[in-house]
Amino acid sequence: MNKPVDEKAALRLSPDGAAKVEALIAQYPTKASALMPCIWVIMDEVGHVSEAGVDFLTEKLELTRARVHEVLSFYTMYRTEPQAEYTLQVCHNISCHIMGARPIIAHLEKRLGIRLGETTPDGKFAIEGVECLGACGLGPCLQLGKHLYEHLTPQKTDDLLDSLRKGVVPRADTERDKPSGGEIS
Amino acid sequence: MSSSDYKILSARFDRQDGHLLSVYEADGGYKALRMALTSLKPEEIRDVVKESGLRGRGGAGFPTGVKWGFVPEGSPEVYFFVNADESEPGTFKDRYLLDYDPHQTLEGTIISCFAVQAKLAFIYIRGEFGWLVDRVQAAVDEAYAAGYLGKNILGTGYDLDVIVHKGAGAYICGEETGLINSVEGVKGQPRIKPPFPAVAGFLDKPTIVNNVESVASVPWIINNGAEAYKKYGTEKSCGTKLWSVSGPVKNPGVYEIPLGMPFREFFHDYLGGMAEGEELKAVIVGGSSVPVLPASEIMNCNLDYESLMNAGTMLGSGGMIVIPESSDMVELIQVLMHFYFDESCGQCTPCREGTGWLHKIVKKLRRGEGTAADIDLLEHVCNGMAGLTICPLSDAAVMPMRSFIDKFRPEFEALIQETAPVGPVSRWPRGEQE
Amino acid sequence: MAKLTIDGKEIEVPDGTSLFDACRDARGEALPHFCYHPDLSIAGVCRLCQVEVEGMPKLTIACNTGVRDGMVVHTRNERVTKASTQILEMHLINHPVDCPICDQAGECGLQNQYMNHGLYESKVEMDDKVNKAKAQVIGPHVILDKERCVLCTRCVRFCDEVTGTGEMGIFNRGNRAEIGTAPGVELDNNYSMNTVDICPVGALTGRDFRFQKRVWMLKAATSICPGCATGCNIRIDHEAGRIYRLKPRFNPEVNGRWMCDKGRITYKAVHEDSRLGDPKVAGQPGNWAAVPGAVADLGAKDGFGLIIASPHQSLEEMYLLKTLAGTAPVHGGLTGADLGDKDKLLLDADRTPNRKGLGLLGIEQGEGAALAAVIKSAAGPILIHGGDPAADPAVAEALSGRDIVYIGTHENATAGLAAVVLPGAMWAEKTGIFVNRDGRLQEFRQGVARHGSAREDWRILAELMSVGGLEDAPGSLKAARTGLTPAIGSDTDLNKIPERGFVPGGEVR
Repeated sequence: MNKPVDEKAALRLSPDGAAKVEALIAQYPTKASALMPCIWVIMDEVGHVSEAGVDFLTEKLELTRARVHEVLSFYTMYRTEPQAEYTLQVCHNISCHIMGARPIIAHLEKRLGIRLGETTPDGKFAIEGVECLGACGLGPCLQLGKHLYEHLTPQKTDDLLDSLRKGVVPRADTERDKPSGGEIS
Repeated sequence: MSSSDYKILSARFDRQDGHLLSVYEADGGYKALRMALTSLKPEEIRDVVKESGLRGRGGAGFPTGVKWGFVPEGSPEVYFFVNADESEPGTFKDRYLLDYDPHQTLEGTIISCFAVQAKLAFIYIRGEFGWLVDRVQAAVDEAYAAGYLGKNILGTGYDLDVIVHKGAGAYICGEETGLINSVEGVKGQPRIKPPFPAVAGFLDKPTIVNNVESVASVPWIINNGAEAYKKYGTEKSCGTKLWSVSGPVKNPGVYEIPLGMPFREFFHDYLGGMAEGEELKAVIVGGSSVPVLPASEIMNCNLDYESLMNAGTMLGSGGMIVIPESSDMVELIQVLMHFYFDESCGQCTPCREGTGWLHKIVKKLRRGEGTAADIDLLEHVCNGMAGLTICPLSDAAVMPMRSFIDKFRPEFEALIQETAPVGPVSRWPRGEQE
Repeated sequence: MAKLTIDGKEIEVPDGTSLFDACRDARGEALPHFCYHPDLSIAGVCRLCQVEVEGMPKLTIACNTGVRDGMVVHTRNERVTKASTQILEMHLINHPVDCPICDQAGECGLQNQYMNHGLYESKVEMDDKVNKAKAQVIGPHVILDKERCVLCTRCVRFCDEVTGTGEMGIFNRGNRAEIGTAPGVELDNNYSMNTVDICPVGALTGRDFRFQKRVWMLKAATSICPGCATGCNIRIDHEAGRIYRLKPRFNPEVNGRWMCDKGRITYKAVHEDSRLGDPKVAGQPGNWAAVPGAVADLGAKDGFGLIIASPHQSLEEMYLLKTLAGTAPVHGGLTGADLGDKDKLLLDADRTPNRKGLGLLGIEQGEGAALAAVIKSAAGPILIHGGDPAADPAVAEALSGRDIVYIGTHENATAGLAAVVLPGAMWAEKTGIFVNRDGRLQEFRQGVARHGSAREDWRILAELMSVGGLEDAPGSLKAARTGLTPAIGSDTDLNKIPERGFVPGGEVR
């Protein structure tokens, strides 16, 4: 999911990404207001916003470094360090907790050999606890990038890991437009 | 009245293709927009919505039509925000609206924008709904192609653009001025008021922020009129509401029911009662930021704003969290206090320090290191937080905290140590000094 | 106008006044506060200035509330006091108890508020505090302790709104929020030390002042910064003859509440090793008793052939030079000396405090070559008062071999050429008047004792007048000013200069 990045080099976006940035600057009423979507372009392509990314944003949007770093540090989903290939974010808020989020977390910890908040030594998997993902009646739930898996059970969790180990991100129930097949149940 | 009579919001929830423009139009979609733009004036639309008694469905319950009226007449630059930052624990209804019926929200948005003469609207979708953003963008694209958005909509001379804006993980961006700041490109911290957003909001211009469910209710109201809307619900809580139900009931999920239905009826007839082997202990009825009610108390309530307020809680977002007997209340409050500690934006002192402090004290109690003084301390900290901050996140933490102690105090007391030191603990006990 | 009642006292204030200011007027002291600052935007984050306004269900922050006619406000009742006590407690729970090693002790907002609220059993003893970075150098002049910060945002707003440089930010959420500069950014604008002034606690402190002196031992003298022609009003903080720091004094007509970093460190020159401490005759250290004879030997009994003044000296001194000169020419020194870049805020391109004073007294300056010519065409001994004209090669060449009496404060090129070197007082060691770039006369007052056996310049000049046989040598600075007043055409008694200075004949910009 994330490509390795040379931290010292300037940010290199794909032509598509660069075009997206220009389009956003044209679309939003002020340059500063385009900051969040521009950060997302970098997040989607690179997986994190390095200092090179900050250079890019300060220059393109005419913002101070302080301002950009404030925004980067304020939001949970923006990251400034390279991330694991698969970051498994399990909701540990009240409804999912009642429905069994902790056992799911414990199950993941056992399967991956790491604790909550850690990354596997090979950099492939990380487990994070996150706040309410808006799937409360469908929990316990887990988010993997743009994929939301609901109604988790230990079995479903194992199936998810197996699929990811093969490099396949399974279709989630919320992805109704994707052709079915390869779901985890 | 059968449940199909009042599918104002959820008419297309059981379809897999309800998000398509063709399906929406076939169902009568965008008729209300046409009527509003071609034969109604903005103030007439505001009056209809005001008359309908529609109240903000995000949690505050403020009358929508009244809020629209705060925009100064004749303002040349007005902005509209649809608040899809749904992050209140226990709440998951807006995602259904946007996932299964985005055009309804979009039509409501356009009509609402016309009512306040906004020229640019943002649909702010929380970052964690990344799986949903493309669907909403697709609906927006369809609307542009069909001439419902852009320049000279339906030939009426009204221009409106819609930008789908993705959040990045901050509950506080659900507060309207936090949301506005977020889109301006600064941290999503709420602003001090005055000024209020309707007068000076986005880029210091008049701005209206409405919840998804609020704007989604507008097309039906325009099509059927205020009186028809008021047939549902109670005198002060008009219309229908989407309830998000979670916890070990037989049928959790999202339900649309008229306001005022007795909880008892909803619980048994819709939710099917508790799941096998579980007993009802308590309910947090409006998303986590409202006081909890024990089973005995909630059973006597009706699900409307006034009845719940009289019972000592609030309707809030309608995120109903059902708590079974098997749950440890102190464990649950630790989960909640962690949430507010995590999400506090940090700008004002009572909330920044208080949320962290509450979390620490509850953890201390659960570790078995707490004393009776710590339970009093929880109340003391709550007193230093409630009503003293820029925004209500502080109160949102205090309400569950206070109510959990109030209604389930024995569970807290069961955790305290037998012998507890009194007063400040010296780091250098006597006898060890030189 | 709006009439309102605050704590039972009725006051009348102009419409549009903030309730914060109205409360200060009524109470005689400001409401407790950290984030409010009169020169910065309203943040409303510290929550300390909350008051009860009858008719409003919640307490309201006074800084963001405008007065309304008929308002009834309570600032000291039980509800308000309880709230501000609780909020203060919140400020303390994660605050490190650094007072024994914190420079802010004695002038700390938290300490002051704590004493006001009588919180003798605060929860500041709590273990398990949120820990953040301490003693972090963030710029050439400022050091940051993130734990002490109360997140009032004053420094962030200052860098955004006053200097427009935007170095500071507040990163992270909740109680992990911390101030700082962005990675790779230093707080190095020319006004960085004002953030130390406005920081209510010891989070931002000055590197120069760090661990130097406890503030309650400092005494204060009012003065004017000698660094440039703006003439920022300052306060000299000193003890036992040493200056420890300079702080700005509020003057809405000149510098508001700020001063620049360059000005702040001008005090260092007062304690430099190159200070002249004793009179020198022919390169040999001497004493004041020998001075009249030495000066007379140079021929000054008949007066000086030329007097070179400098824009570093006071108005009274310049006036006495003119009196001393009689019919001999008085030159103002080099036009091209002591110039730099102007900035957008306070720093003037003219790095001398009293060039306007020369103009007021009709003393003209010139370029090096012109001054050299004047020197060559003047016969007799030359008196040079202040500055360092011999730094210019043409002037040095013209001065070499001449009989020179130099009144100065430091070893320099001019002192090296003078037969008689007389140690004068620096600005911090004497009283006088500077005229700033807008023509404003401002008084600076002595803060510390003079170095070595240096004398007040007016006294040296009076002695020289006696040597020259002039009868109206002043016996005091007051007497000197009495003569000066008509010389500049002023109505104002120069011994009673208003605190904020004055411009003769009205404001000139």
